Amino acid sequence: MSDVTLDALPPRRFSWRRRILEGGGLWPAVPALVYLAVFLVAPIVTLLGFGFVTLDRGQVADGSFTLEHMTGVLTDPLVWRLTWRSFWVAVVATTLTLFLAYPVAYAFSHLQGIWRTLLLVAIISPLLTSALVRAYAWIVILGGRRGLLNQTLLSTGIIDQPLQILNTSMAVLIGMTQIHLPFMILPLLAVLAERDRRFEEASLNLGAGQVATFFKVVVPMSLPGIVAGFALVFAVSYTNFIIPQLLGGGNYSTLAVQVYEQTIVVLDWSRGAALATLLLGSCFLMILLITAVGAHLTRWSEVPK
Amino acid sequence: MSDLEIDRLSKRYGKLQVLTDCNLMAEGGSVVTLLGPSGCGKTTLLRSIAGFVEPDAGRVMVGGRDISMLPPNRREVAYVFQNYALFPHLTVAQNVAYGLTVRRRPRAEIARRVDEALGLVALSDFGGRYPKQMSGGQQQRVAIARALVLEPKVLLLDEPFNALDAQLRLTMQVELRKLIDRIGITSIFVTHDQAEAMILSDKVAVMHGGQIEQLAPPLQIYDRPSTSFVADFIGRANIMPVQVRAGRTDTPQPVPTPRPDGPAVMIVRPENFEVVPGNVAGWPGRIGFATALGATIEYEVDCGMPEALRVSMARAPGSGPLAQGTDVTLRLRSTDGAIVLGRGAAHV
Repeated sequence: MSDVTLDALPPRRFSWRRRILEGGGLWPAVPALVYLAVFLVAPIVTLLGFGFVTLDRGQVADGSFTLEHMTGVLTDPLVWRLTWRSFWVAVVATTLTLFLAYPVAYAFSHLQGIWRTLLLVAIISPLLTSALVRAYAWIVILGGRRGLLNQTLLSTGIIDQPLQILNTSMAVLIGMTQIHLPFMILPLLAVLAERDRRFEEASLNLGAGQVATFFKVVVPMSLPGIVAGFALVFAVSYTNFIIPQLLGGGNYSTLAVQVYEQTIVVLDWSRGAALATLLLGSCFLMILLITAVGAHLTRWSEVPK
Repeated sequence: MSDLEIDRLSKRYGKLQVLTDCNLMAEGGSVVTLLGPSGCGKTTLLRSIAGFVEPDAGRVMVGGRDISMLPPNRREVAYVFQNYALFPHLTVAQNVAYGLTVRRRPRAEIARRVDEALGLVALSDFGGRYPKQMSGGQQQRVAIARALVLEPKVLLLDEPFNALDAQLRLTMQVELRKLIDRIGITSIFVTHDQAEAMILSDKVAVMHGGQIEQLAPPLQIYDRPSTSFVADFIGRANIMPVQVRAGRTDTPQPVPTPRPDGPAVMIVRPENFEVVPGNVAGWPGRIGFATALGATIEYEVDCGMPEALRVSMARAPGSGPLAQGTDVTLRLRSTDGAIVLGRGAAHV
């Protein structure tokens, strides 16, 4: 069976001047690009640059390019321990958000009218308060003998001794999972709510039950949303320093917390900048890995004809 | 080969009655087409057979067994979707194997049956491709292979040719009809294309406003439509109000009818009229518009009725149409070919 194909149109040639004017559709993005270049790229480059020079009373010492801060950071076993901790906290928290977010997004896709609107408001409303406030709220809930959780469990007699959750990695994971949940729900919601239900009907018609249909059709087809949410939540979890600091109780340090402390407390900007370079670089590598794995898993969506 | 029987099926969405007392019988191995304009309920009826729609009343029987209460995954009726609904994340072979995999058939059996099914639709070499890499016609064949590999009792197809271009459509229609005859599976098509219904079906169910207006073989539907809607939807029809008196119509050429005296409508196909010059017994009129279509000449003749009468005549080689404005008379070629219906059947 042959497909009807159109003969390719002869390529149109434009002068270089015309090409620049047309800009390949880039022109509308220029305001955003300029804004990002001035207010994001320039500060980051400056900050990271501090890791490769010696600073003297807030001034860059002349001709002081050095790799000393970078090698100091990279050869410090403590730094590697903190990097590893940042990594697994972020991976565990991201995985937890995925398992909590998926049922919410799935439920959303099955709701209609006012219920759908109400659920969307519930999903988004935590974003109305800052992460800092929510971190403090978790201190109130988890903290000590008089925290909401322990009070409730003690008064109902479920436990005799107060649980020690605050100032442990458990508290960090709980806080991080809750605070970053919306960033996982929203990309999942986008793919699940817009999905074509005929694929599920086709699966049922071919003899699969509801559960098999969910795992063999709904989940694989939502992989693009899962990958997007995973990359997003991993990035914000890996680089967050407020939650480990507040809920980890000062003695729970991660790479991001170290960057904060070196820069704000110790005032060693060069070491802080070198640590930030490591944080940013390793985060980029992980995002690349996640998207590469994602692209491999969803290669069916981009196959050539 | 299992019979499919639909027994007084009704469905209502809120205030909207989409199906009213639909009865349908498809003998084992036969092809029935549900034909009607959009919104007539034909797809809802097909979806109720598959179990995607829960009817308010009525039964669906396959091979004498009531399947109305079974969930869609236990009905053993295959459904081919309008856009095929091939799983994009699975290869062609995995798509065809899907139903066997969820039934946990042995791996060797799955491989063998998938090969057979792909061979049946001449796609043996395409098992490793993803649906996106296939053309529309190939995707349709994959969808049919995926449905047939499970050896279902009934095959349901929802406008399966809609996504294909006109040339390919005719080829696929003929191919599919041959395939169905070879396998001998009871099949129900949904379509709004009357030519497709004529090509594919043993019986056509013409639907209108949630009801089956007529269920009969295609030619019988064409020759003996039971309502003016059916007459107008299948082919073209001149519909004229007439009076019946003493077993005949009060028309220039009286048509015998068993109907009681009173108002009725008469339906005449354009090819059952002929244009003759001069003043003889018939409908006097004036040529309003003429088109020569090669094999036939089409006239619109103004006979003083609200709508011009349409005539289709075979064209003799070398001859052309009569000039516009010519005074002519319309005659019935055969008074038996004219259909007289009661006024009640005259809703269009």
